[in-house]
Amino acid sequence: MLTAAKRQFKISMLSTKYALMRAMVNKATFVMSIVFMILNNATFIIQYLILFSLKEDVGGYTFNQVLMLWALASGTFGVAHFFFKKAFNLSETITNGKLDAYIVQPKNILLQALTSDIDSSAIGDMLYGFILIFVSGITIKKFIFFTIFLILGGFIHVAFAVILASFSFWISRSDIIADTFNSMITHINTYPEGIFGGITRVVLYTLIPVGFISYVPVQVLTSFNIMSFIYVLLFTAFIIGLAFFMFYKGLKKYSSSNLMISKI
Amino acid sequence: MSIIKAQNLNKSFKVKIKEKGILGSLKSIVRPKYEVIKAVDNISFEVNEGEMIAFIGPNGAGKSTTIKMLTCILYPDSGEISVLGMDPTKDRKKLAYEIGTVFGQKEQLWMHLTPYDNLKFFGAIYDIEDKEIEKRIEHLKEVFELEKFINIPVRNLSLGQRIRCEIAASLIHEPKVLFLDEPTIGLDPVVKDSVRKLIKKMNKEFGTTVFFTSHDVSDIEKLCKRVIIINNGKIVLDDSMANLKYNYLNKKIVEVKLKEKIDFENVKGIEVIKSNNNNLKLEIDTRTTTLADVLKLIDDENIIDINISNTPLEDIISSIYKEGAK
Repeated sequence: MLTAAKRQFKISMLSTKYALMRAMVNKATFVMSIVFMILNNATFIIQYLILFSLKEDVGGYTFNQVLMLWALASGTFGVAHFFFKKAFNLSETITNGKLDAYIVQPKNILLQALTSDIDSSAIGDMLYGFILIFVSGITIKKFIFFTIFLILGGFIHVAFAVILASFSFWISRSDIIADTFNSMITHINTYPEGIFGGITRVVLYTLIPVGFISYVPVQVLTSFNIMSFIYVLLFTAFIIGLAFFMFYKGLKKYSSSNLMISKI
Repeated sequence: MSIIKAQNLNKSFKVKIKEKGILGSLKSIVRPKYEVIKAVDNISFEVNEGEMIAFIGPNGAGKSTTIKMLTCILYPDSGEISVLGMDPTKDRKKLAYEIGTVFGQKEQLWMHLTPYDNLKFFGAIYDIEDKEIEKRIEHLKEVFELEKFINIPVRNLSLGQRIRCEIAASLIHEPKVLFLDEPTIGLDPVVKDSVRKLIKKMNKEFGTTVFFTSHDVSDIEKLCKRVIIINNGKIVLDDSMANLKYNYLNKKIVEVKLKEKIDFENVKGIEVIKSNNNNLKLEIDTRTTTLADVLKLIDDENIIDINISNTPLEDIISSIYKEGAK
């Protein structure tokens, strides 16, 4: 079991390495995509700077907490899109019968499919996350927990995308729903929790689990609470389990295709 | 010893039916209509170890669906499959170590990597040690003549070179069974011939069992000793190539150039396929008329040139497809 997991990890890393090699073919494009992603994200903080010059807090968050929120939102997005880019167009992979190549390999189909490409601009998102967390004031403990939350949040993003994409096994053109929800989770992630109330807040801890990607981690990074940390861990394990369950349940309905396609 | 067994295999697909135009699209949202298409209809067959078998049929006959069920890609609705004693639906990973696949219509290689890097990557997927991978790459490089382009990115290779790399990559883990789904599609005759030679060499050298689909009759004729023909999801013929030719070659084609034209209309057992002045192309049904009888009808001195040949295998297979469709 452990050997199999090690081998799977080796292959996933090898896939990422090869995809990175491709992204680096044109160095100028590679570097520019990262730099411009950082600049693009930075423009949003300027909006908050203006808001905080008018108000003491926004949605119950101080400016420092907004920095942490953006660090988490950007960093988790970066982790998810850099290592598991294909999770966000898995619907198309399923619909167009592109899973065939992964099914005939003696490895985990889902992980093989997810790690077969990277989004190099997501490096900019990850870097931006680390820049902001340093700006918000850093300690070793905060740095370690921030890094853990980035990984867990990235996993939640990916698992959520896989669950949505798995509907493609049953419903045609469900990629539209998947795209809508994936973009929803990305946007809501950047708004302070306090601006939402009632049922919306329940939704943000269940159907659109932004709460476990950003809100609880912001609380933990502000004042450490072991129980909140455990909740995030448990939820991450739950949603990953659900993603695998949905994908493999749907795989039995996979109908492949005879399209002329190539693996790029 | 049989290495592949399929028993009473069935597979259907549910397809949405949409009426034409925007109104049809709206209707299909409110009241969607579906049609169940039976892709594979209760088929059974066995393949023996070391055999090279052609699994052929017209488009939409069920060839790819069958091959995909044998390689774990699709789950059958019912029936049993055993490949190397394993059930593809239950032992996918274990079976994947033992089989190789090449889908002519689908690229499995990484286009931006060189064939060498691809072979290294595929070797790692099959958990082969680095030293052993290098050894196998050397061997495959020799057998498949990859030397000239092994360090050029796959996207810059010609289609023929790419197919050679695809087949080489599918053999890196030395599979016992190789599934080739239209590997010669889109290739020119010269490259086709070299791919055929490679497949033959691989079967001889590695003892690999080859399960092969193709629309090209020469592929089948040159490579396989046994043929299974599938049409409308059903097996319409499962026989050796020798038997296929023997049983179906009861027609001869006679092309004759005459000094003076002879009328063969209404002669029993003779069908005039083409008539151009004194040049005739006749199809003789040898069950009712012997060639000797035909030649008796033509005066020796009237013949300028004559050619007698078998009905092309392609025509035989087409007629089997048509019979199957009825």
